[in-house]
Amino acid sequence: MTAEETVQQELEKKFPALAGKVRVQRARRIFVDVEYQDFRPLLEFAIGLLKFPYLCVITGLDEGDQLGIIYHMSGESGIILSIKTRVPMSDPKVKTVTDLFPSAEIYEREMVDLLGAKVEGLQAAFRYPLTDDWPTDQFPLRKSWKTPDVPKGEIKHV
Amino acid sequence: MSEPEQFKIPFGPQHPALKEPESFSIALRGEKILGVDIRLGYNHRGIEKACEERTFIQDIYLIERICGICSHVHSTAYVQGVEEIAGLEVPKRALYIRSLIGELERIHSHLLWLGVAGHEIGFDTLLMYSWRDREVVMDILTLLTGNRVNYGINTIGGVRRDITPEMAKEVLTSVDKLEERTKYYIEVATQETTIINRLSGVGMLSKEDALRLGAVGPTGRASDIPRDIRKDDPYAAYAELDFNVCTDKRCDVYGRTVVRLLELMESYKIIRQILANLPEGAISVRAPRRIPAGEAVSRYEAPRGECMHYIKANGTDKPERVKVRAPTLANVQSVKQMLKDRYLADMPIVVAAIDPCFSCTDRMIEVNNLDNGESKVLDWESLHNYSIDWYKKQGIDFSRMKKREIA
Amino acid sequence: MKILNKLVNWARIKSPWILHFNTGACNACDIEIVAALTPLYDLERFGVQLKATPRHADILVCSGPVTRQIEDRLVRIYEQMAEPKFVVAVGTCACSGGVFQGCYNVRGGINQSIPVSAYIPGCPASPKAIIDGVVKLLKSLEE
Repeated sequence: MTAEETVQQELEKKFPALAGKVRVQRARRIFVDVEYQDFRPLLEFAIGLLKFPYLCVITGLDEGDQLGIIYHMSGESGIILSIKTRVPMSDPKVKTVTDLFPSAEIYEREMVDLLGAKVEGLQAAFRYPLTDDWPTDQFPLRKSWKTPDVPKGEIKHV
Repeated sequence: MSEPEQFKIPFGPQHPALKEPESFSIALRGEKILGVDIRLGYNHRGIEKACEERTFIQDIYLIERICGICSHVHSTAYVQGVEEIAGLEVPKRALYIRSLIGELERIHSHLLWLGVAGHEIGFDTLLMYSWRDREVVMDILTLLTGNRVNYGINTIGGVRRDITPEMAKEVLTSVDKLEERTKYYIEVATQETTIINRLSGVGMLSKEDALRLGAVGPTGRASDIPRDIRKDDPYAAYAELDFNVCTDKRCDVYGRTVVRLLELMESYKIIRQILANLPEGAISVRAPRRIPAGEAVSRYEAPRGECMHYIKANGTDKPERVKVRAPTLANVQSVKQMLKDRYLADMPIVVAAIDPCFSCTDRMIEVNNLDNGESKVLDWESLHNYSIDWYKKQGIDFSRMKKREIA
Repeated sequence: MKILNKLVNWARIKSPWILHFNTGACNACDIEIVAALTPLYDLERFGVQLKATPRHADILVCSGPVTRQIEDRLVRIYEQMAEPKFVVAVGTCACSGGVFQGCYNVRGGINQSIPVSAYIPGCPASPKAIIDGVVKLLKSLEE
């Protein structure tokens, strides 16, 4: 059994609700779909038992009426486990994972600024990556947000 | 205790009403840094959104321009992801050519870094020498791809240009030349006590901290973490190539310098292998215009560390989502840890040592002196000068170093 | 007075001091600008020197498609320069926004924020093109 299949089996054994939702796409790539209420225990299990010590990045996705969030973790032997969860777009609240991964802060802030996620537990700090004067109700990465046709400023020559 | 004349603002009268968007916010006690807050976003151009509005092929050229030093990194990571979703089998010759350009990019990036590091500690001769050597690499890259940066060599399904045997010979001659020069740099780095004293003990990041904060690339490897995507998660031709992962136990800026110099030597080894074993065959396969629905995570060991792309396709000719995580973003957290309890004068080289890929010029630093409640804004150039002067007073002066002539 | 003016002009043309500023570029043009100062291309033989403060600079050499964060600073730096001052836009992004035209955080070319005297296209603009552009600007000043 390959290392990826071991991971798949361990996850499905510990969380029976995941049966059929753990997909080994190819060598070193595993994708998991989980409901948000089971997300945190799954994350901790993955870190503890399966030796996934490193959070690569958090990807936010606009899926219409839901906000998809993928936590990409990298473990031993180069395996990447991508854990996907969803929260409703009308109330996109998630809890921070910075207690487990301090580096998650910047990825969470990016989701807040660009997609309008609400991350509970983040300390007050600078916005990232948008400017301070960007309106707080405009989320550029949402599908519904179109880049406005700003009339070009006057071209200045010398 | 603190000397106010150290915080001089070079620009004329400061306008109190105009707020500068500070990049770094530092809390200082005397000359020691208590804490650092880093603000990023100056280079935010909205690329991820733009990717969704353009086709897959157009995105290659957009993504290449995320970073001017790591352009092949981003372009390869992106096409690798798309090829995985589309189920394309890229010909071996293309994979070898991609790896060749990748290693040449690594060499040019590390030589660039060497120059920048030299400049930050006041050793400008090193800047001139290493950037002159870098021109050798730029000439080779121009020969192979037509441009010095932003090569445009990748396409979905392979590469766009082939290598002739004459080009291969040129590359080998240049690699030989560069290897000689790199040996000189290694000699300087390991024998010049001025350099060793200046860089040792600065920017410490213990192995535990490096693991906890997710340090990648030479920054992590200098804290004894043998993490290298070329070995852990091989892509392109690396599964078939023989090379070492360079680590160092020193955990400081000196260790990071050593790791990069050793990596240069490994790159020369890899390039020779690639050219000796270049497989025959096509350089690309046809890719469909519409990429079937699917997702992929693609990684690449950039000169700075792990670069990660996540791509989601939805069956049309435009991507559904492209997420890019550049290595500097992963290393920025570690900088705060490295600067804790160090002197303000250490800041330039510690930041330079992670080889940051955010805007190189004009970072503003807000310094909050906790002793007297003063708050001043410095620009990078004055911090740079302050740092060199501070270390000169400690006896570390590169302007007095003997310059050795190299062929 | 006329002689003094001529002398000052001559000094300015013979030894222009430049300030380099990156308005959110990918760094490729910036590295080519710095490379133009290294021994192989050596802009310094034209008397060009890189200065750190706008108050001492004659020419502002700019790269990058102006991002929103940096636009204020760009304008402020331009205003802090003493007359006569010139702006060189290096790279396609600085000329017109380049590949980033239409991106939401990008103005698209520096000529929408400050007046530009010379445009040097290229992605990135090679050091040879940069030298060519700077020399052309200096020649036009002589007239």
